[in-house]
Amino acid sequence: MAIPAHLELSAHRERRRARLVRLYLEHERVAIAGGTLLAVLLVWEALGASGLVDPLFISSPTRVARAAWLLSHDRDFWTDLQVSATEFMLGYAGALAVAIPLGLAVGLSKRLQYLIGPFVDTLNAVPRVTLLPLIIIWFGIGIWSKIVVVFLGAVIPVLINTQSGVKTSEARFIRVARSFSASKLKIFSSIILPGTVPFIFTGAKYGAGRALLGVVVGELYASTAGLGHLIAEAGNTFQTDIVFVGALLFMAAGLITVALLDALERRFERWRPQPR
Amino acid sequence: MRASSSQAQTSAAVRLYFAHERAILGTLMVLLVLIAWEGLERGWWADALRPLLGDSAERFKLKPIFISSPTLIAAAAFRMFFVTGEIWRDLAWSSAGYVLGLGLAIVIGVPFGLAGGWYRRLSYAVEPFLAALNATPQVAFLPLIVIWVGTGLGQRILIIFLLAVLPLAINAHAAVRTTDPRLIKVAGSFGASDWRLFRTIILPSSIPFLLAGLRLAVGRGMIGVVVGEIYGSAAGLGAMINQAGARFQTDKVFVGVLTIVAAGVILVEIVQRVERRVDIWRTPA
Repeated sequence: MAIPAHLELSAHRERRRARLVRLYLEHERVAIAGGTLLAVLLVWEALGASGLVDPLFISSPTRVARAAWLLSHDRDFWTDLQVSATEFMLGYAGALAVAIPLGLAVGLSKRLQYLIGPFVDTLNAVPRVTLLPLIIIWFGIGIWSKIVVVFLGAVIPVLINTQSGVKTSEARFIRVARSFSASKLKIFSSIILPGTVPFIFTGAKYGAGRALLGVVVGELYASTAGLGHLIAEAGNTFQTDIVFVGALLFMAAGLITVALLDALERRFERWRPQPR
Repeated sequence: MRASSSQAQTSAAVRLYFAHERAILGTLMVLLVLIAWEGLERGWWADALRPLLGDSAERFKLKPIFISSPTLIAAAAFRMFFVTGEIWRDLAWSSAGYVLGLGLAIVIGVPFGLAGGWYRRLSYAVEPFLAALNATPQVAFLPLIVIWVGTGLGQRILIIFLLAVLPLAINAHAAVRTTDPRLIKVAGSFGASDWRLFRTIILPSSIPFLLAGLRLAVGRGMIGVVVGEIYGSAAGLGAMINQAGARFQTDKVFVGVLTIVAAGVILVEIVQRVERRVDIWRTPA
């Protein structure tokens, strides 16, 4: 028996709608996130364009994009970017270079922990940016004071995490290794160090945020160049669009750093057998 | 086997040392650093090394404006707390901004995070914003905040809010997500209303996460106290530190920093106490 044409057609439509619904459900997350983002940008643009809110206050996406385009042709902007990147990288690299070995040592030696523990705890209790006025007295308003504040910001979380990573090494593994008379070096390199790597990465990610904070605050506080300097100046002269560009660049820097560390961590963790 | 009495005595001393090793070593190290510091300012080391190094020993004597010294700082602290009492006003001023900013962060961040954890679609909508904002050093928005609300109390409240709200919202979100789904299913099959579900299952199991978020937020808010007062605040600890720094009154800077350290330690300790207390009723898994 043949199916009437109109029924077949409606069934076809039904199937197509079901497929669309399924497509939406599969990508619901992306759809909603993208939709919201788009809506926010549109409302923002409309608010700026309609004159309901003075663009001086909130700027607008197109203005921000234009400012970014203009800035990218400005040589001073690239100098600022370079200065901030240098501060971040030197301070952060220094923090990793100090904190990882020191954290391992402190984790391994109880006495060393007793000796430096009070200082680490005190520094950990205070937002290191509080020390900026002192750091500026000591190192001036140039690039070094920012490197130091970035260093101080990042060194503590990496140190604390590395130390607790060593502390939580699997005691059973160490006992087994000992009973097979593994040397201390062997135990360290094949049990303690691999077990600590995830902790180091957690600390490094946290430290990266602290380091970026140090760059921003250091440059807002007192500086002659850098992205923070750029947004502080732009803020003082009500160039809201440039402030947004700067804030977005800091956002991008944060996201990129975390993504890089994630990728690096996956690489380091590839040897680990998947659970089950 | 019998130990002689002198051996017994030394071993008792050694035992005593080992029992308190942590406190002994820690105190020694702190004392050592304090003495080294004091000596740098007073020129003890310069005097001691002069016969060896001659005039270049002067390098070991530093000016008080540069590093101050523990006794100078203690004297300044005594003056500021008990003689002039000037620091109380700064403390009160900073605390007002801090309490309001943190309070606002709790009132907005926690319900928002809980809702985001419960309603999947809401979570999809706001997740990208939260993630992006969390990766940003939020103080980069300070110049914007100044444009919006000026440099008064509002600006300080807003920056503290912005710094503190993310850990609260993110932890509240995670708390709902990690609630035991079996409990929710059971309650659902017994016809519990959403409100009852929330009150008796989700909220209690969220408390540890919320407190952990609060602990983070307390620390972040401290950054806001200092950073929020960069732009010429009338009073406050951060403003006091900045002004003292600009005038090279290093001892006052240290007093301010140490006051903030003390406040931070006390606040975190309070949250931790509450965390421990709340955890008591929980049956160990």
